[in-house]
Amino acid sequence: MSTSVKKVYGYLAEFESASHLWKACENCRDAGFKKWDAFSSFPVHGLDKAMGLKKSILPYLVFFGGLTGFMTGTLLAYITQVEIYPTVVQAKPANIFTIAAFFPIMFELTILLSGFTTLFGLLGLMGLPRLNHPLFASRQFKRVTDDAFFIAIEARDPKFSPEGTKSFLEEIGGKSIELVEDDEK
Amino acid sequence: MGHFVTSADIPENGEKLTHPLAKTIQFFAGIIAAAGIVISVGIWFFGSDKVSGSFSYSYLFAFTFFLTLALGGCFWTLLHNVTNSAWGTSVRRIFENLGFVFPFMFLLMIPFFFPAVQGHLWEWHTHFDNVTANEGVSRFAGALFGYWSNDGMKTALTDNHEAILATKSWYMNPVAWYIRSVFYFASLGFVIWLARKLSIQQDTDENPGVKNLFRARAYASWGLPIFGVAMTFWAIDFVKALDYKWFSTMWGVYFFAGCAMASMAFIILTTILLKKLGHFKKVVTGEHFHLMGKLNFAFVVFWAYVTFSQFFLYWYANITEETTYYLLRNTEGWNIVSMILVGGHFGVPLLALIRQDVKKNPKIMMIITLYLLTIHALDVFHMIIPERAPSLSLILGMKDIHLWFSGMWGLDLFAFITVGAFFIFIFIRNLRSAALYPHRDPRILESANVHN
Repeated sequence: MSTSVKKVYGYLAEFESASHLWKACENCRDAGFKKWDAFSSFPVHGLDKAMGLKKSILPYLVFFGGLTGFMTGTLLAYITQVEIYPTVVQAKPANIFTIAAFFPIMFELTILLSGFTTLFGLLGLMGLPRLNHPLFASRQFKRVTDDAFFIAIEARDPKFSPEGTKSFLEEIGGKSIELVEDDEK
Repeated sequence: MGHFVTSADIPENGEKLTHPLAKTIQFFAGIIAAAGIVISVGIWFFGSDKVSGSFSYSYLFAFTFFLTLALGGCFWTLLHNVTNSAWGTSVRRIFENLGFVFPFMFLLMIPFFFPAVQGHLWEWHTHFDNVTANEGVSRFAGALFGYWSNDGMKTALTDNHEAILATKSWYMNPVAWYIRSVFYFASLGFVIWLARKLSIQQDTDENPGVKNLFRARAYASWGLPIFGVAMTFWAIDFVKALDYKWFSTMWGVYFFAGCAMASMAFIILTTILLKKLGHFKKVVTGEHFHLMGKLNFAFVVFWAYVTFSQFFLYWYANITEETTYYLLRNTEGWNIVSMILVGGHFGVPLLALIRQDVKKNPKIMMIITLYLLTIHALDVFHMIIPERAPSLSLILGMKDIHLWFSGMWGLDLFAFITVGAFFIFIFIRNLRSAALYPHRDPRILESANVHN
């Protein structure tokens, strides 16, 4: 299959340590790249700022998820317990002032739906689950879960160029620079 | 990420509160407190029964509010030490100074030891007094000078139709009450004094190591149970006992939630104000405000959780002794206060504190913390003042049982200012007596560069 044309994913460069990775990320950010990512086997504090990442929109999704749960709980309790089938307990009223008895339901559904939104929103924003990633084609990339730090700049980036990006990665201290090609077409 | 704080940024001999404004405020607070205490004693001696009785409640309200702040200061100090935390080292001295107001509050507690004040607040004291006077039963008979009460006392109380009090008298009797009151202040006062002393010793240590830090951690591990016991049982003996028939297994937790929330608000407010005076320039950043704001947010939610649990179970179980507390507080005007607390103590701060940028913004946080302190004052008001009119109507032999004495809010405000001025006086005294942050603590740089 060596004759078929493969799609280029981008350049992968290895960095010596977390602090080298950090500085390289700042350089990539300042060079104006958009479609790129940094890879480390452990969380590096402040790397999001060095990469120039924007704040996630997840909190807004969770807020509206929680709000939906809150409204559902309120309506569920109110409609069933006040409108359809009023339950009189200990001579307490069955009207809007029964709301104190509804709090557990309102609370639980708020928590449940905001929890769901957090989990599924997070997976959705990350693009998970997926079966494969083009970077898995690289042999050296296997070390990312062990002791290596990488930056990958994708070919989709408007600033990407076969020569310029490679020399840029060399300039900012990247080692073993590799052109990664997608296994699939 | 700005520039990293290094030991070159930390003054060698610490940062002291030398601003003249602090001295002026302390001076005037001292004068107001002294004048207020003199006038208070005057009200107790020369006021009519209704006024002096009402003022006892006002005074208990003011005292409880400021005591919760000091208790919260003890809690945050001990918690910070016992969890081996580093994030808050640069603000830890404020926790300690706030907690160290606690032992001084004993001075303001002395009025409660006089039967004239007790009689209006705690009816069960009066019942014991009546039994002693009319039936000639000695208080001090029995084991340990009558600490556990005695059979003669129980029989006499039962004969006076106080069977509930007779059953509870192994805990609720004046001898035990006095001993416990002193014990709370002696034990927790010692714990917080020790924690602050260890911290301040470090400031002048020639070879600052980890010795004091580890000792403080070890002490805090047995200091926290003492805090728990002293705080819970103080709340039971002084506030819950306003209605001795009532009982609640949530009371201590409810009281604690208020302590922790309000004191964290007070700590944030103090930090903001000190930063405005030009202190903490290098060591306190938005990250610290974010962390403290998160704790404040957590305790807003925790307060709502335990308060609602207590209400929900007692209101719907509908057992006479349990539901009486809420029956009084859900009647007429008091129901409005209860409703305000639901939205004002939970809904508003929940939404206000939920965003990260709000917690990091000192200007907005100043408004929010002032608001939280106000609403906490309303919470304490709601614990204590509803008992005033019904109890006093009975004690003073009025024809109707009143729910509310009009015009007594002036006394509440006066007591609040008196106790508040004393509190501010001692707090600024504590702030000025030592460096504002532990500049030789091994973790000060870690704390100054904290990132979350």
